[in-house]
Amino acid sequence: MKWTLVVSNGLDNVLTSLAEGRDVYALERLESGNYKLKQSSAWLPEQHTLGAFRSIEPLKALFFPAREFIGTWQKLTIRKPMRERIVFGVKNCDLSSLAIYDHVFLQGVCPDPYYEEAREKTILVSTDCSSQLDVCFCPAVGEQPYAEKGFDINIAETPAGYVIESGTERGAKLLQSAQQYLKEAGPELLEVFEQQRARRYGELMEHSEAHGLKPGMDLRVAIEGSFESELWKDFAKDCVECGACNFICCTCHCFLLADGVNADGMPARTKLWDACLYNGFARTAGGGNPRHLRAERLRNRFDKKFSFFPQVLGRYACDGCGRCTEACIANIDIRDVLRRAVDESDALHAHTGDH
Amino acid sequence: MNPTLYMPIPATIERITAETPDIKTYTIRPDEPMPFKAGQFVELAVPGIGEAPFTPSSSPRISDHMEITIMRTGRVTDWLDTMKVGDEVGVRGPMGRAYPIDDFHGREILIVGGGCGVGPLRSLLLALVEDLDSYARIIVRYGARTPDSIVFRDAQMHGWNQGGALDVMLTVDEGNSGWDGHVGMITSIMTEDYLDCHADDGVAVMCGPPVMMKYGTETLLERGYRPENIYLSLERNMSCGVGQCGHCRLGRYYVCKDGPVFSYDEIQNNPRLWDD
Repeated sequence: MKWTLVVSNGLDNVLTSLAEGRDVYALERLESGNYKLKQSSAWLPEQHTLGAFRSIEPLKALFFPAREFIGTWQKLTIRKPMRERIVFGVKNCDLSSLAIYDHVFLQGVCPDPYYEEAREKTILVSTDCSSQLDVCFCPAVGEQPYAEKGFDINIAETPAGYVIESGTERGAKLLQSAQQYLKEAGPELLEVFEQQRARRYGELMEHSEAHGLKPGMDLRVAIEGSFESELWKDFAKDCVECGACNFICCTCHCFLLADGVNADGMPARTKLWDACLYNGFARTAGGGNPRHLRAERLRNRFDKKFSFFPQVLGRYACDGCGRCTEACIANIDIRDVLRRAVDESDALHAHTGDH
Repeated sequence: MNPTLYMPIPATIERITAETPDIKTYTIRPDEPMPFKAGQFVELAVPGIGEAPFTPSSSPRISDHMEITIMRTGRVTDWLDTMKVGDEVGVRGPMGRAYPIDDFHGREILIVGGGCGVGPLRSLLLALVEDLDSYARIIVRYGARTPDSIVFRDAQMHGWNQGGALDVMLTVDEGNSGWDGHVGMITSIMTEDYLDCHADDGVAVMCGPPVMMKYGTETLLERGYRPENIYLSLERNMSCGVGQCGHCRLGRYYVCKDGPVFSYDEIQNNPRLWDD
């Protein structure tokens, strides 16, 4: 069932009720117009917003921190149980990316207990995007600017009122607890809601197509087909292998187990984000390196996202959030790379007649 | 819950054997037994310094201690080189896919090793010779740079042929005055003159430096071995060991969890199979 508010300005009551007794992560609008995810102990109506589009930083950091202390030698740190927390204003690109982390940290050889706990203790409240950033291109990777799964609660704002729904049993129970502020959404509101979603998708699709990327393009074929292309060398001329695209990416999951000593001089281990753009990423002890060249490392990043993940998980490891484009100090736009890969693989297929 | 996912269990160095000027075999005793299968690897940690992947060279029948044969070649191995009997290290594992020994039953097995790569092969050989009658024939071909760099030299030259039951042959890239054996690359003792084998249904298992694996595989294919019957132990930067950290990706595989043992047909289409 979908809900709406009993009184039109009652959203803060609902959010305050949901936040009660939990650590809160909510968006704050910065002067630049961007949104930043900040921690607090309650929903703060004056400061917080559900946001029109995604935050600057990826959601992954809440589950897979940039720096996570693992333990000191012979003394694994048993962490205090994590407090339950609620995240407001998650957008679909970030929400969808969690499928990548679930695959890596939960469904593999050995689940990561810290990640598992973070997932269990985090309530995700998503919202439809009401606007987009210039760098957004989610329709091109099969996503859309609203969440259809993966959320506990989704909130969509329309001119006719809010549409609120649960996506999990936990979300349904939470909405029960805010029942006094909610009533069933009527058919007219739901029609406005569906129309708004369709319109928003259309707008983003046009935006993506304006950059040469149409929904449904086979990006796996494009990336695999352009493996030998000069495009990697061309883009690598600008790349300074800073790794910003890796770190800011909402799906990049690679990490390093870094050993050192803590303040007491005890050997200690930390799990850190790592970047496949770095020269030493795949290097072995003897000095062998399967990717000596920056162009090879740049290509590897796309190969991982658009060839490896489709093979192992049936989806791209890219949700079209465009953060890599924003973060790149060499102004490499992921859409330009993908478009050229599409063009060149098409050209290659046309040339060989193998389509 | 597995709280030791990223943390090693302590292990004590019980013995250190110098094999060559830059290769030593470390016998370690983990605080808890660590049963492994031949071909699987462990992450060996120097506390506070780092850890690196190694495949044990000892018999997989023994789980309370393991031998690991290590060439000094980087930061972790430089530190290991300074360590003494009684020192403490850490170990995580075992990890990855082992040699499919069950599939080897009744067949001829050719083992090809190069340099320090003979470590994992020794573990395999020790498992095989305990059950010699189960295999049609076992052949060993090993190459080292010089006579002084032959790992397990006494065993290879005297013990490994099991009184003639095994066909063992060694070669060195460069001989010296004390060497009266074969001189030449590993592939020079894989030719018809030096290797009598049943390539059509035989199994070949190879481990060594990338360049040796590359030319060795070419030679095996030329001799008629089928890609699905050539097993290679691949070396990549395996770090977490459980398919999460991303460092050892090879095409659609992670070497740490899908390997390190691969049959050649699984990986032959990878454009950068042999790192250089």
